Amino acid sequence: MMDFARVQKELQECSKDIEGSGIRVTPKTDATLARLVGTIPGPIGTPYEGGTFQIDINLPDGYPFEPPKMQFATKVWHPNISSQSGAICLDILKDQWSPALTLKTALLSVQALLSAPQPDDPQDAVVAQQYLKDYQTFVGTARYWTESFAKISSLGVEEKVQKLVEMGFPEALVRGTLESVGGDENLALEKLCSG
Amino acid sequence: MVDCTGGDDDYLDPNDDDEDYDAYDANFCENDVRKPNVDSIKMITKETLLAAQREHLRTVMEVLSLKEQHARTLLIHYRWDVDKLVTVLVEKGKDELYAEAGLSSVEHDNFVPAQLPSMVMCVVCTEDVPAVEVTTMDCGHCFCNSCWTEHFIVKINEGQSRRIRCMEHQCQAICDEVKIRILVSARDPNLAEKFDRFLLESYIEDNKKVKWCPSVPHCGNAIRVDDNELCEVECACGQQFCFSCLSEAHSPCSCLMWELWCKKCRDDSETVNWMTVHTKPCPNCHKLVEKNGGCNRVQCICRKEFCWFCGLSLDAGHSCGRYKEEREKVNTVIERAKTELLRYIHYHNRYKAHIDSLKLESKLKNTIQEKISWLEETITTNIDYRWVTNGLYRLFRSRRVLSFSYPFAYYMFGDEGFNNNMMKYERDIKQSLFEDQQQQLEANVEKLSSILEDHFDQFLEDEVMKMRLNVIDLSAVIDKLCKELYECIGNDLLGYHQWTTPSIAPYMSNGVDKASELVCKDMKPSHTKKNSGKDAICFTDEWPSVKRLKTDDFTHG
Ligand SMILES: [Zn+2]
Ligand SMILES: [Zn+2]
Ligand SMILES: [Zn+2]
Ligand SMILES: [Zn+2]
Ligand SMILES: [Zn+2]
Ligand SMILES: [Zn+2]
Ligand SMILES: [Zn+2]
Repeated sequence: MMDFARVQKELQECSKDIEGSGIRVTPKTDATLARLVGTIPGPIGTPYEGGTFQIDINLPDGYPFEPPKMQFATKVWHPNISSQSGAICLDILKDQWSPALTLKTALLSVQALLSAPQPDDPQDAVVAQQYLKDYQTFVGTARYWTESFAKISSLGVEEKVQKLVEMGFPEALVRGTLESVGGDENLALEKLCSG
Repeated sequence: MVDCTGGDDDYLDPNDDDEDYDAYDANFCENDVRKPNVDSIKMITKETLLAAQREHLRTVMEVLSLKEQHARTLLIHYRWDVDKLVTVLVEKGKDELYAEAGLSSVEHDNFVPAQLPSMVMCVVCTEDVPAVEVTTMDCGHCFCNSCWTEHFIVKINEGQSRRIRCMEHQCQAICDEVKIRILVSARDPNLAEKFDRFLLESYIEDNKKVKWCPSVPHCGNAIRVDDNELCEVECACGQQFCFSCLSEAHSPCSCLMWELWCKKCRDDSETVNWMTVHTKPCPNCHKLVEKNGGCNRVQCICRKEFCWFCGLSLDAGHSCGRYKEEREKVNTVIERAKTELLRYIHYHNRYKAHIDSLKLESKLKNTIQEKISWLEETITTNIDYRWVTNGLYRLFRSRRVLSFSYPFAYYMFGDEGFNNNMMKYERDIKQSLFEDQQQQLEANVEKLSSILEDHFDQFLEDEVMKMRLNVIDLSAVIDKLCKELYECIGNDLLGYHQWTTPSIAPYMSNGVDKASELVCKDMKPSHTKKNSGKDAICFTDEWPSVKRLKTDDFTHG
């Protein structure tokens, strides 16, 4: 059975240090702690800079003795991440997982992967080929994808609040929710709808 | 019966000078008594599995003065190859040897709970636990017992029993099996048993010199080959197999060729190809219709006429004037498929014919025994009839060789990429040399077959003696030809571009080597077989499988 006490503690630990790491983990719905959403900022100095990437996290029953299942929800152009499904090729999410690792450390590793692609062990062969053979085009595509899919909508905070309030949610709740999901209006909407 | 002229030069005419064959005969018998080298092929049963690995464990424990569990961790990492382990020890030293295998060189035996504070924080479950409820591994990492147990259960269920790593991130240490056993058996004794079995079976699974017998249903045995792993072996359950690829014994066909051949025979893909280019469904009754002759107006047995090109009925004002080139293209595709099919059929028929003959001849085993008994009663002179059974097993052996030489030839001389480095003319020369040898062998095998099938029980004594010489001579010739065929394949053909390693199992004159039961110093073999008569021992040494036949004969007859 999953150790919910540990997951609960992990979430608390993580929220304490959002300023420092920029990494956020929140439950997808209030119903269960087994389905979470992680958010990582694109590393500075990479084609992912300025983007905010969301990662779907599913915790297996054996967590933390089995690795969490992680998958990009935001489309991303990277040799070790499937451009189709968002599947991640990362050793610590597979055989190198250790029960002493946490969701936060795992997300930090994913973030490190964005900075240091490993094209020799690709998840997406097309991207890996491009990375190796035509690096400039790769950078261009990755940047374009970041612009198109990973930038939190260009709306300002006030516009987002207004939009959600117009949908019929109380303003205080809207502001609180928006803040808890890092300003992502879609995520906020999802959370508001699920109650 | 195949024409035998090819073989005539190779065996002696029985009407030659008498002294000659006696010399030849003696020589042949001497050769045949040579013991197969079974000492290097051992059978490991459930009962001897522990004893088999104990020798290695003991060596490592003594050399490095280690506890058994640590010696096992090392051996599992080095795949039970003690020589490799010693090489690493000599070349890289003890620390490196241990580190590579995930064994901590500093043993934390002095780690007593007293050294820990009374409460310890387990970082996995993030709980504070009393010091008595935590376990520290040799690497020094400490977690609560409940978390360790959970970790072990997940790993054992994943089938990773043999190398369960420490829970700490990036710690490569392998957990101590004794500690694992204690913790797991407290939670789930059945799982602890499973863990022990996995550990025990590592000796088979992680060891290139030991393999499970591929029998179905499984006999429970494993075979260990101490010298050349490219060989064919026989398990005590009677299963004969190629130790490299675990399929049935298939030499002189190489493992790769045999794999391709089996797949080909299974798919019968050529036939399917042929069917698609040679037949079309009738537009009326949908039966497949074969075109015979050049006319493209074909008629089905339902009497419907249709156009071969477009497959449409001809009576509805049909016209499909195709370009000529396209028509020719269709024809060359058909031709190529047909040539390839005919080639496959040629080799497959011969391969199959020898297997079928072998099946028929296997029945001879019993009738020949009856004939011998009959002769022993009618002819008063004391004659040793071993030559008949020896001849029969020579026939069986060579039938297999012949049979498997056809799939070999199919690939060796075909366009499957097995002769890439060979020039066309060179290939043609080699092919004709090979085929000469194959034909010679075939001719002699057929001759031996016809002699052994004869009603020799009705022979007079001098006719029996004549037959005896014939059989002995032919057997010797066939043995020599088989050996030469293997040499030709191993050296001239396969060796052509894989000279470093021979790629077929060596020819065993006396048949596939039978594994002998593993006997260790500190244990008794589970069942010792002994033959009382001197004659019987000599007999079994020559032909392992004859033993059953002969002892049965002694006890029941
Ligand atoms: Zn714990
Ligand atoms: Zn450790
Ligand atoms: Zn067996
Ligand atoms: Zn093989
Ligand atoms: Zn028809
Ligand atoms: Zn016609
Ligand atoms: Zn037509």
